Amino acid sequence: MKTTLHLTDADRFYEQLLDAHQGLSAQQSELLNARLILLLANQVGDAKVLRECIEAARVE
Amino acid sequence: MNSPTTDGNASAAHPSYAFTVGTGYQLPTYPFVKPPELSGGKAHRYPVVIVGAGITGLTMACALAKLGIEAVLLDEDDTVGVKGASSRGICYTQKSLEIFERLGVYDRIAAKGVQWSIGRTFAGHDEVYAFDLRQQSNFGLSSQPPFINIQQFYIEGFLVERIGELGHVDVRWRSRVVAFEQDAHGATLSVETPAGRYTLQTDHVIDASGSHTPFHAWCGAAMTSRRGDDRWCIADVRFKKPAPAERHTWIEAPFNENRAVWQHLMADEVWRIDYQMAPDADPEFVASEAQVCARLRAQFGENVDCEIVWVGAYTYRSQCLDQLRYGRVFFMGDTAKIVSPFGARGGNTGVADADNLAWKLAAVVRGWASERLLQSYNEERLEAAQQNVLVTNRTARFLRPHDGMERTFRDATISLARQYPFARQLVNTGRMAVANSYTHSSVCEAGGGLSVQNVRFCWGDGSTGFVVDLLNWAEGRLLVLVFGQLSQAAATRLQQLSQGTPVRCVQVVDAHAGAQAREHVRDPLGHLQGACHVFGHAWAIVRPDGYLSATGEAVDAQLVNSIEHALAIA
Repeated sequence: MKTTLHLTDADRFYEQLLDAHQGLSAQQSELLNARLILLLANQVGDAKVLRECIEAARVE
Repeated sequence: MNSPTTDGNASAAHPSYAFTVGTGYQLPTYPFVKPPELSGGKAHRYPVVIVGAGITGLTMACALAKLGIEAVLLDEDDTVGVKGASSRGICYTQKSLEIFERLGVYDRIAAKGVQWSIGRTFAGHDEVYAFDLRQQSNFGLSSQPPFINIQQFYIEGFLVERIGELGHVDVRWRSRVVAFEQDAHGATLSVETPAGRYTLQTDHVIDASGSHTPFHAWCGAAMTSRRGDDRWCIADVRFKKPAPAERHTWIEAPFNENRAVWQHLMADEVWRIDYQMAPDADPEFVASEAQVCARLRAQFGENVDCEIVWVGAYTYRSQCLDQLRYGRVFFMGDTAKIVSPFGARGGNTGVADADNLAWKLAAVVRGWASERLLQSYNEERLEAAQQNVLVTNRTARFLRPHDGMERTFRDATISLARQYPFARQLVNTGRMAVANSYTHSSVCEAGGGLSVQNVRFCWGDGSTGFVVDLLNWAEGRLLVLVFGQLSQAAATRLQQLSQGTPVRCVQVVDAHAGAQAREHVRDPLGHLQGACHVFGHAWAIVRPDGYLSATGEAVDAQLVNSIEHALAIA
């Protein structure tokens, strides 16, 4: 799992992510996030990296 | 080498009975016969006693009968199937069908059942996933199709009759085991019958008595168990609907309140349709003929003409023993593990359990292998059980997600599957069972632990043969296939092996190459080599259950070691 920055335009991505949720209800936002997670996970592909990301996502 | 004469399936000699008679099933009744133990006969010690004549116990009994091993099979009932229950397990995998071919009941199954290889999954009105098993890996290379659907009691009935043909195994109906003890000298079973109670002494007890077995308590067997709140209604329906014999699954069916529906064709033009119900639904109300007819009308239109053969409520759990052997008792089928039904990993796993142990018990009883070979049953089939529980639990979780985030992810998966191919793979309505591989077996080496498909080759006279023919010819011995040309030294070694150890050796050559061994076959299409996962100059040891023990290259001491290893005598 990479921990240094690999986003080519971090602020732009951050804005796009927030904008995508504009006008959505909480339920719609949850569905959007779930779809996005699956789409992005498929880009990563590697099972070990994905497992590490899930572990890292847990809030201690 | 010419094709050996076989004892054949003799299907022409059997009455062509149909268990489906109008509505409801009429299952055969087998007579109770007073056993020798109650008729003043001398007490006899059997090497094996099998408890439970379901599909697993019957496969075990038939396999032992085929290998000429004496055994008793006890069943508390006097019929096949379960009184008051329906078609039960209906999807039989290629591997199970290959086993049934070896036992001599496949022809009857193929004649009665329905072959299929295409599955479609729907969400709402959209097809989100489809597969054709004939196009996956090497399904098309076996003599048996990817799947046959048939009501479970048909296979059980065929096995009962086949055991009668083969002999060696005494099938005793209306015989219930009420007590059990075991020690260093053997096992003792108390059997209750209409003519009184008697005891049986034996060396090995096979518990194939199903999910309500008393042996777990008697052996102090521990297991992990998991039950959810998923509820289903099972219906066996006969209706005149010209539809392809495909497995159709809906994750969300508009005609079933957006819950899951399974649809399969079985024998006798009877469809098996499973409806998922709300967790808190009243089973009696929902699993009723009226409700099923209403759903069928919603699915196929008001004019659908259907006949309900059977309907009932169904629930499932998953559980797995922590070990499959307790002293002299071997657990198999549902006594070893229970899985949710998605993916056909229940009955098929029981059949595979039985086939795994039968040849090992026969080898031990005959003195061909050491007792330690029996430990590999636990190693191999426990791994398979755990794998099958893992896979089916994942499916059950997809089909009955917890409310909240699990349901959200499922919604996300289904919506993405409508648009993108990758998401279709995530839609989980069951991963169809395949022959499990053994990776922790003490009797499998490098190249071993894999199932060999029942592929075709040519006998010396040019006629077609299949792997099952070779396995039956080997009669419970290890089959050593040696690919390529043989040096004089190698040929001599193989001759000595055939005489001194319980193996049968066969040379496999190309279409036009010469052969040095009298016992040889030709592999013009290379399917036999492919099925054994070897290339070029090589040997493969195939066990009586159709699994590889090991593969190697040179016919040298390594081959001898591997043979001894496969029988746990090294």
